[in-house]
Amino acid sequence: MKPARPTPPKSRIRLSFLLPLIGFLILAGFASVALISTLSGTRNTGQLPSVLIGKPVPATPVPLLDDVGQSLDLAGFAGQPVLVNFFASWCAPCRAEAPALALLAERVPVIGIAYKDKPADTSAFLDQYGNPFAAIGVDREGQLGFAWGVYGVPESYVIAADGTVLLRHAGPIDRRVLETKLLPALESAK
Amino acid sequence: MIAELGHFALILAFVMSLMLAVLPFYAVTRHHSGLMHLVMPVTLIMAVGVMVAFAALVWAFVTSDFSVALVASHSHSAKPMIYKISGTWGNHEGSLLLWIVILVVFAALLALRGQHMPLRLKVMTLGVQGVVSAAFLAFSLFTSNPFARLSPAPLDGNGLNPILQDPGLALHPPTLYVGYVGLSMAFSFAVAGLLDGRIDRVWAISVRPWITAAWCALTAGIALGSWWAYYELGWGGWWFWDPVENASLMPWLAATALIHSISVVAAREDFKSWTVLLAIVAFSLSLVGTFIVRSGLLTSVHSFASDPARGVFILGILLVAVGVPLALFAWRGPQLAGDKGFDLVSREFGLLVNNFLLTAATIVVLIGTFYPLALEMINGARITVGPPYFDATFNPIMGALVVAMVVGPVMAWRRGTLPALKTVLLTAGLATAVSVLAAVVLATDISLAGIVGLAMTVWLAAGILADVGHRLGLGRKGVTAAAGRAVSLPVWGMWCAHFGMVVFLLGALGNGLFASESVVRAKPGDIIPLAGKQFVFSGVEQRQGPNYVTLTAVLELRRNGVPIAVMTPENRLYTAERQTTTEAAIRPRITGDDYAVLGDGDADTGYTLRLYRKPLVSWVWAGAAMMAIGGLLAAMGRTGKRRELAQSSGSAAPKGKGMPA
Repeated sequence: MKPARPTPPKSRIRLSFLLPLIGFLILAGFASVALISTLSGTRNTGQLPSVLIGKPVPATPVPLLDDVGQSLDLAGFAGQPVLVNFFASWCAPCRAEAPALALLAERVPVIGIAYKDKPADTSAFLDQYGNPFAAIGVDREGQLGFAWGVYGVPESYVIAADGTVLLRHAGPIDRRVLETKLLPALESAK
Repeated sequence: MIAELGHFALILAFVMSLMLAVLPFYAVTRHHSGLMHLVMPVTLIMAVGVMVAFAALVWAFVTSDFSVALVASHSHSAKPMIYKISGTWGNHEGSLLLWIVILVVFAALLALRGQHMPLRLKVMTLGVQGVVSAAFLAFSLFTSNPFARLSPAPLDGNGLNPILQDPGLALHPPTLYVGYVGLSMAFSFAVAGLLDGRIDRVWAISVRPWITAAWCALTAGIALGSWWAYYELGWGGWWFWDPVENASLMPWLAATALIHSISVVAAREDFKSWTVLLAIVAFSLSLVGTFIVRSGLLTSVHSFASDPARGVFILGILLVAVGVPLALFAWRGPQLAGDKGFDLVSREFGLLVNNFLLTAATIVVLIGTFYPLALEMINGARITVGPPYFDATFNPIMGALVVAMVVGPVMAWRRGTLPALKTVLLTAGLATAVSVLAAVVLATDISLAGIVGLAMTVWLAAGILADVGHRLGLGRKGVTAAAGRAVSLPVWGMWCAHFGMVVFLLGALGNGLFASESVVRAKPGDIIPLAGKQFVFSGVEQRQGPNYVTLTAVLELRRNGVPIAVMTPENRLYTAERQTTTEAAIRPRITGDDYAVLGDGDADTGYTLRLYRKPLVSWVWAGAAMMAIGGLLAAMGRTGKRRELAQSSGSAAPKGKGMPA
């Protein structure tokens, strides 16, 4: 057995050595809040304010997925409320909301915007998870998303019959969001 | 009966782990040699207990004992034997037990071996390993008991998620877990070293083989997972920036930084506090990697194991397992800092750059994975950032790393350059210039990203080859066996691992730049041309598998009208589970893969077919395999160094010569 080492000289705590701990505690705080709200069922209720509410949708032309020669024309759907859904094949929550979108598509036209995605990947995604969309625009570089102020995908907008933005929902649409938020909004837009 | 035996063995192991969590620290503070020697048998009994428990669980799966609730809900009597066995870890409880098995086996290996290390360090490391084991055994016993009985026992089981019934699943989690859990050894050594107040050359040489082994397993595990996703998910991609993939990439990046920084401690006793921090962070990230999936915090394709109710326990473990060592680091770390000083042109500076870039990459992935979670906390939005974010942030950092990879290994410790530096830089620079020029002239449609990627790959390849040539004395006396032997095995390992990066980059570039794809609605008799070949669709037929039925498309692949292969992509319906999976048909070749997927459709309107040509894609995994082999070579080459340490335990004279980066 080795002899005991003398106790090292006392030194003051230095900030640079505290930083990892502080960073970790911040992360852990977020995770705890997320977990607690998941457990108590209050998660996924928030709503992002959008500057577009009550204003007409931005007119940025994007090509159609099925026919790149043509561009997506939202005015073609005027006279009825529509749902615009930003999605991408690389987005995991988008897979989760596929059943909800299919339900919605039975009531109103749902227009998909493939956000920063390769068209072939988008097609593969639609093959696998179903295609609820009445029309799909290809926003390859994300300019349309930029004009709409999209945070990330998935994100959905309810557009009123007069072509103005009624509501924005960031995050996947689940049954609760569908029933408490989107369907009432679509109902009021008729 | 067997299940109760397993349960009992697990409880015994838990009691032993509690003992192991206390005994070493008591023995060390009391300087009690007899108690210190008691630590090893306690470790071994704990390990045997867990292994018996795991064997009992495997037995329950193999014999389809549906009175065990876990078997009933995750297995089925009609399943092939290999998936009955792999089904043991295809679920939360079983995979947790496998995780613990690896944890205690690592502890047992250290208890049995490690004669060369100072006893204090060995015993305290085992103690930290005991604390971790106790936490996870408690997690298993109290929240996820794999041996819970079901009464009355059902006649048959619910089956295993079909997407997990795959050879890849039999191998991927165990390999990945060896990597994740192997990092627990680095963690335990780091915490023991902090408690002991002693991080030196002896410490570095003792912990190094564990880090290298964990890194190799992690590399192989991630590659297996990527390969599995490539052929099983049917998306044709090999990396999706999915939270679960990120969770395995973060510890890999940290461990990569760690195997580089540990060489500075081993050779020069510098970078000490930084290395300790990396060891703690690497294992913390693998804890996050294993368990974030199960807590339901992040949405992911791998969500088969998620259950928010268990998240509280996991979060508690994470808080203690990461928070306490980081607090210890804040307290004891400042005493470790020993600045040796080095020049701007030195191996140390090269490794500093390496560590800086790898850390930056880790943080970028961490932000990309957790930013959505943070954003959700602030305003409730639940989104993904995805590949656009990672392409813009991660790739440039890795690009800089590749540039630095050529320079670092040819610099000497402390100051000055090795004579190779000039040759290597000149060769690499020239080769890069020539190939970029050739690419611009010959391939008119190549993108800027393509040129940058090509330049980086050529730079790295030429740099490594020039270094190899210089050290072997090529051009002066020709290649001789003696020159090859003069270069130590760890250096060969480094070359192999670094060249693995070249192979990986070629795969990623080939697939990223030159892939072609075609999505068609096809009817029998249609011919679909793709990348110089033709797919002839002859129709769809139904087939019967052991526990599924398929819809199989028959595609004949032709080159210039000559048939070269028949490809049969399938959609499988697993009858017990009532779930479908897509099985891509892949024709892998060194030059690239032909890849076909059957979509939906019917006889009237035709079937959707997705066809891909993916040049060089298998090089991605071949490169990862080379990296893992390089790591193994380096570890094998250092056994002599540890033997030397056993003879003169405690001597801290730096012998920097010949140590690889």
